[in-house]
Amino acid sequence: MSPALPAAVRRRSRQLLAMFPGMILVVACSGGPGSSPSPTQPSASPATSPAATSSPASSAPSIEPLASPTGTITLYTSVTQNTVDAVVGGWKAAHPGVEVAVFRAPTAEVAARIATDLQSGGLKADALWLSDPLSMAGYADQGLLQAWTPPSAGAIDAAYRTDTSFGTRLLNMVMIRGADVTPGPADWKDLLAPDVKGAIGIPDPGFAGSAFAALAYFSQADGYGTAFYQALKDNAATQVKAPDDVTSGVAEGRFKVGMTLDNSARTAIKKGSPIALAWPSSGAIAIYSPIAAVDASANRATADSFVDFTLSPAGQTAIAGTGWQPVVGSGGPTPEGSQVSPDWSAAFGKQKELLDAYRAIFGG
Amino acid sequence: MADPAYGGAATTAARGRLGDRWLVVLAVMLLVALIGIPLVRLLGVAVGGGVGNVLATLADPGVGGAILNSLWTAALIAILAVVGGTAAALATERGGLPGAGWLRAGILLPLLCPPFVTAFGWTRAYGPRGLADRAFGVEVPGLFGPLGIVLVLAVAALPLAWLIVAGALATRVEPDAERAARASGAAPSTVLRTVTLPLLRPAILSALVVTFVFAVNAFGVPAILGTPAGFTTITTRLYQDLARSSDPALFAEAGVLAATLVVLAIAVVGPADAWLTGRPATRTGESAGGRAGPTRAGVRRRRVAAFGLGSMILLVAVVPLVAVLLTALTRAVGLAPVPANWTLANFGEALDARFADGLVHSLVLAVGTATIVVPLGALLVVVGRRRGRGRSVLRTAATLGFALPGSALAIAILLAYGGWLRDTLAVILVAYVAKLWALGQRQVAGSVDQLPIEIVRAARASGAGPAAALRTVVVPLLRPSLIAAWLIVFLFAFHELTMSALLYGPRTATLSVVVLNAQQLGDPTVSAALAALLVGLIGVIAVPLVLVTRRWA
Repeated sequence: MSPALPAAVRRRSRQLLAMFPGMILVVACSGGPGSSPSPTQPSASPATSPAATSSPASSAPSIEPLASPTGTITLYTSVTQNTVDAVVGGWKAAHPGVEVAVFRAPTAEVAARIATDLQSGGLKADALWLSDPLSMAGYADQGLLQAWTPPSAGAIDAAYRTDTSFGTRLLNMVMIRGADVTPGPADWKDLLAPDVKGAIGIPDPGFAGSAFAALAYFSQADGYGTAFYQALKDNAATQVKAPDDVTSGVAEGRFKVGMTLDNSARTAIKKGSPIALAWPSSGAIAIYSPIAAVDASANRATADSFVDFTLSPAGQTAIAGTGWQPVVGSGGPTPEGSQVSPDWSAAFGKQKELLDAYRAIFGG
Repeated sequence: MADPAYGGAATTAARGRLGDRWLVVLAVMLLVALIGIPLVRLLGVAVGGGVGNVLATLADPGVGGAILNSLWTAALIAILAVVGGTAAALATERGGLPGAGWLRAGILLPLLCPPFVTAFGWTRAYGPRGLADRAFGVEVPGLFGPLGIVLVLAVAALPLAWLIVAGALATRVEPDAERAARASGAAPSTVLRTVTLPLLRPAILSALVVTFVFAVNAFGVPAILGTPAGFTTITTRLYQDLARSSDPALFAEAGVLAATLVVLAIAVVGPADAWLTGRPATRTGESAGGRAGPTRAGVRRRRVAAFGLGSMILLVAVVPLVAVLLTALTRAVGLAPVPANWTLANFGEALDARFADGLVHSLVLAVGTATIVVPLGALLVVVGRRRGRGRSVLRTAATLGFALPGSALAIAILLAYGGWLRDTLAVILVAYVAKLWALGQRQVAGSVDQLPIEIVRAARASGAGPAAALRTVVVPLLRPSLIAAWLIVFLFAFHELTMSALLYGPRTATLSVVVLNAQQLGDPTVSAALAALLVGLIGVIAVPLVLVTRRWA
């Protein structure tokens, strides 16, 4: 594949360019939180203790307050409808007169819409709010995102932000088991045990961004690698489209155990489905849901105000109120154990490779 | 429905040449605008990465496998649906079965379900831990995998084939000819083989084309049923590429896959259209002996046949819907669907303010699409009545919109017209028309083809003006088929999801988009409630369809 090389070179140079304003900012802040991507090693996670409450003080004073927002902005998002509604509602209440035109769709449709925009005159959105960091990295790589530090971003753990996009909430990839499956899995490798053979459900990374994030994590983690998926296949695991389908499959008894998102499991448990959540002892795979302001936005001040609001205490409370773990502070569901993340920047360059390796095992 | 097409058909003798040429020009212009320009923009995406990339994509064994999978499943689906649809049409239209009206309604039932509901219903009914598994310990083996895809899509496509063949039986195959053959001593099987089926040939071929194209661009069913078996088709692969298309290379790969489908459609549909063009029916007028009567099969045999057909409908169409409804009524996934666990709460969660807005948008779009597509379909049919250079190409071109997966067509439309029309209902309408034009054309073809020009000429010769001829002769003859075609297009537009999800704007969400967004909240019981509401709503709207088809009896 000859075109891969120039693309990679281009990517690197763009990345450097994109980091430039960020670097200046770092100098200006003199010792503010590192704004370079600072990858998280899956084995030693900085996010293990999400007690990030002490950091914001250092950066807040040196950043200028935002201009007051006016007019309408367009938001492209793959975040769940009720969460978008809550956050948009809160922001509009705080800034009377502003309006958000929301295009909400699954990840694939949002990505297609953005790609189509780019083919016909440029991105029409002022802000992007996505469900996984890898898609966002693609847009950062193309230089579409504004490099800046929102005033409220200082509170966010460095693992959950870059110089262009900022985590708003955490999706945790965990295990679930049927209520009657005891003792149930303690860590990921228990999915390879003979007693659950043929009754394991996993989401398809081709369809679900969160499943792809899990694939990225395992490919990097010590003692796993893509061989873990081969082992899952050898234990007759079944892939289904999305984490929700895993949850349903376990609830119905089609699977004994599975890999799904904590939010999906909690929703089902709350309604009375006979399943239980099994938080992996090595840590849930935390996937942050990033938001970013579009660089070419015609209404940048307003876009910035919205992005900042999602990261502010009020925005974070709104997010927590819809059942997601906010990236800053408490509220919402509490993680039942540690959290780990893949090295997003390393995974970004290998998306096709990873997916091909996965497809070679599970078909497709 | 004032339509220049019929006037053109009616006055072939006098102003034929000139009027006909204008119709061809009109058809070409519309095809270029609705399908040509968007397709060119889409091909631009495909080759945007360079020809090397296109070849590399096609050489990828995963892509090649997906193309093969799409081809053989679609071929099998088309054959199953057309054989089944023809048999069912012969049974309901010629068999004299008791309760034929109910049977027709049952055959059409799968049309009411959006594909994602169909697939969902089948997994809940016949999958592991499904209804049948819980009740009798049986499940359909291989439901998750190619077998399931073929089975479910064949069931979904069968009504399309049935409508075309039944329409042809009602209007094209002259009962007089069949009676003459019987009177001359031919056995029923001989009549079928030597009279009925040869007359049905164009309809059967048309049905094969429609069902093949329907199957090859299906997404919802292969996505749900194929994934667990690692079985990928072009459409699911394309969608997976879109999901990761923040990488421009993968967006280009999606473009290549879409272009491949276009080529496949041309290769399969083109020859069929070339054969169909210039083959209008031979019918000369109303049957001297009235409508076709039942064959002389014994009452017992007819009852057995009706019972068999009814049972099939129950198994493949009704039970999956019941399974959806039971899921919607159950408090949480995994609980037994027994009254103790029933609740209406899921329906409450499903209904919010957006539902009403979506309903209005979907109704406007569906009515608009159907009202535009039926005359457009007739236009193509009229143009294709004559043999002539490139005439069959027009039909084939219209089919490309139907053959493209919704996501790819939506991208093409956005690329072509997004600049002016984005976020309006108009852009969705354009996409619906581009997509469903071929469906309307194929449904109308059977009836417009058989319109006897001689009767129209007789009317004109007796002093009727063009309008009077249209009103008193043409429309009454075509009415049932036109209304049926209108309703089919209406149904498809009403539950269209894939394109709407990409094209809608802040104030133009359709009902299916509302359903999708709610579905993504991750609660399958609420999703089931939404699906049940959607199907129920479509059912209420589709009752006229049943009434109309009953009149064919």
